[in-house]
Amino acid sequence: MSAARDKILARIRTGLGRGTLPRESREALDARLDGAFKPDEPLRPRLPDKPLAALFRERLESVAGTLQTLHGEPYIPGAVATYHASRQVTGPIAVAPSLQDLDWSATGLEPRFGRSHGEELLCVSRAFCAIAETGTLVLLSGPENPTTLNFLPDHHLVVLDAADVVSHIEDAWARIRTRDADWPRTVNLITGPSRTADVEQTIQLGAHGPRSLHVLLINSPRRS
Amino acid sequence: MHNARSHEFMTRAVEALHDETLRTALGRAKDGFVLKRRLAFDALPEYEQLRDRSVAIKNHTLEHLDHYLERYEQAVIRQGGQVHWAENAEDAQRIVVEICRKAGAKSVTKGKSMVGEEVGVNAALEAAGMEVVETDLGEYIIQLAGEPPSHIIAPAVHKTKGQISDLFHEHHAKYGLTKRLTEIPDIVNEARQVLRQKYLDADVGITGANFLIAETGSNIIVTNEGNGDLTNTLPRVHIVTAGIEKVVPTLEDATTLLRLLARSATGQQITSYTTLSTGPRREADFDGPEAYHVVLVDNGRSAMLRDEFREMLRCIRCGACMNHCPVYGAIGGHAYGWVYPGPMGSVLTPLTIGLREAKDLPNACTLNGRCAEVCPVRIPLPDLLRTLRHRQFQHHIGTRRARWALGLWSWLARRPGLYHGITRWQARALKWLSGRTGRLKAVPLAGHWFKGGRVLPAPQGETFMDAWRRREKQS
Ligand code: SF4
Repeated sequence: MSAARDKILARIRTGLGRGTLPRESREALDARLDGAFKPDEPLRPRLPDKPLAALFRERLESVAGTLQTLHGEPYIPGAVATYHASRQVTGPIAVAPSLQDLDWSATGLEPRFGRSHGEELLCVSRAFCAIAETGTLVLLSGPENPTTLNFLPDHHLVVLDAADVVSHIEDAWARIRTRDADWPRTVNLITGPSRTADVEQTIQLGAHGPRSLHVLLINSPRRS
Repeated sequence: MHNARSHEFMTRAVEALHDETLRTALGRAKDGFVLKRRLAFDALPEYEQLRDRSVAIKNHTLEHLDHYLERYEQAVIRQGGQVHWAENAEDAQRIVVEICRKAGAKSVTKGKSMVGEEVGVNAALEAAGMEVVETDLGEYIIQLAGEPPSHIIAPAVHKTKGQISDLFHEHHAKYGLTKRLTEIPDIVNEARQVLRQKYLDADVGITGANFLIAETGSNIIVTNEGNGDLTNTLPRVHIVTAGIEKVVPTLEDATTLLRLLARSATGQQITSYTTLSTGPRREADFDGPEAYHVVLVDNGRSAMLRDEFREMLRCIRCGACMNHCPVYGAIGGHAYGWVYPGPMGSVLTPLTIGLREAKDLPNACTLNGRCAEVCPVRIPLPDLLRTLRHRQFQHHIGTRRARWALGLWSWLARRPGLYHGITRWQARALKWLSGRTGRLKAVPLAGHWFKGGRVLPAPQGETFMDAWRRREKQS
């Protein structure tokens, strides 16, 4: 490989006062890396004793996110239309292809399914899971869920299944690792709308990303 | 090379002390940062344990840095990305410019990257004829002002609303935005509007990395504005610039550090956006960059492994040390003269640009220890600063007068009788000099010390030893 690479690695080894690591050491490090050996169980902050979805909601709201519960996926288009009207959003909307099979015909919204190019002021995506510890949504990129939907609109609506709320950040990693697909290009952990405090430490929402983040929590009565 | 102005520290510190606007801005920021951090950790009983874990993770990684970097590189390549190694700032500049040239880039957007500042990416790209736009609001403001950052997480912390408004007025007229803004929401909105087009037009997006994950080959960035995400999603090419010490083994390791990072920096549990980018867009994706490059920067880091300065490589760039530093709080970041200010900068700058060039920085410290107390990864910053002072003395750096005074002091300190006699006389004389105020505004032979408007509380006329003896007798 490159000369710079070799020089840097050599300098690191000199700095550490040794040569290349012997094979046994490397194997031990690889076992740690591949999860076969865990030096310590991750230290997870203790969470208050309440249902995960309730804790998720509480922490999401503490960072200016909002949430509404729906009793099934068929209600999603209606809820989006109501939000659209209540916020007086104008222009087209973009929706993740993962939600294309729903019946959008009655809403009069005529969504575009796919990525955003910045014209849409409202976009809808689907979360892979959510983290109660921090009130965080986890979204994975892919043709079903383009990343641009998460950052270009003023209003970002995210569909989340109540069964997909996990307790800690580590649980989200475990889920991504065991899902039946390659590692996605982008994993977005989203906690509230975009914000900045760069002008006189005053918090202002909607710096470059969405000004508002609204979660549609699907809690099917059948399952619960 | 670097365009550091650390040798001008003394003059610029004095200037800063007389800058009323700066003092207002700094005062406001400092209280906010300190309070928010404290509230965040009050709500986290696992704080001390998490610090221990974080130190252990960082130490483990540094001890095996060669191996983890190789594994990280393999993972990036497996995911379709490319890794470039830069020994120094010039290498890094050359590599970034080359990637942009090959991509036929005219316009480049940047997410905040301290390594990018360190190696001077912007100047290099501009010299190569490209437009470079900083997209973090704070970085954008200082880019318009033509200034370096004055804080590692709040680069424009020294600017007031009025100054920002003036800058926008001057620079946004070319976009037809000529209204003078007075309210913060309007200022933020105007920046949003101007930068939105820049994101969409950019050919290349450059971000930094808070962590590099050896397990997956991902880089993690944490932001609040979402600018980093627009930068790494919209352009055709995504370049990550990162120091070699940013690698950690697994996502779990990064998570432990993440729990401390946002709390230490802004008092948040987690920032609005924590983003993992892994390779270029996948075949079926509708968005994301077509190419993904990582530039691993050494620039003096590998040399820090060999002695006690290895501890400095644990730094996660949270800014807590400067938020709690009385010297930083009085003079702000620019006086330090390079990209890293405050306690961490006073250690890093001499190590990177030279002990002689930055000779005043290790001495601009009262050794009060607050920085080490709040550092989430327990870097003994005051000890490292003391080591640097020691090295300066050994290498005959510093004014002749300072060396002479230190020499005299050490001679005197080894002669207790004489020492006590002289200090007794000194305490009395200083008390007499201060008159009724109890404060000294000048002392013979020490005129320059008081130049910045400093006031010294006068001794009460009795040495500690005398007071001790008197009390012993009384009881
Ligand atoms: S030295 Fe410690 S406190 Fe300062 S920026 Fe680095 S990690 Fe944060």
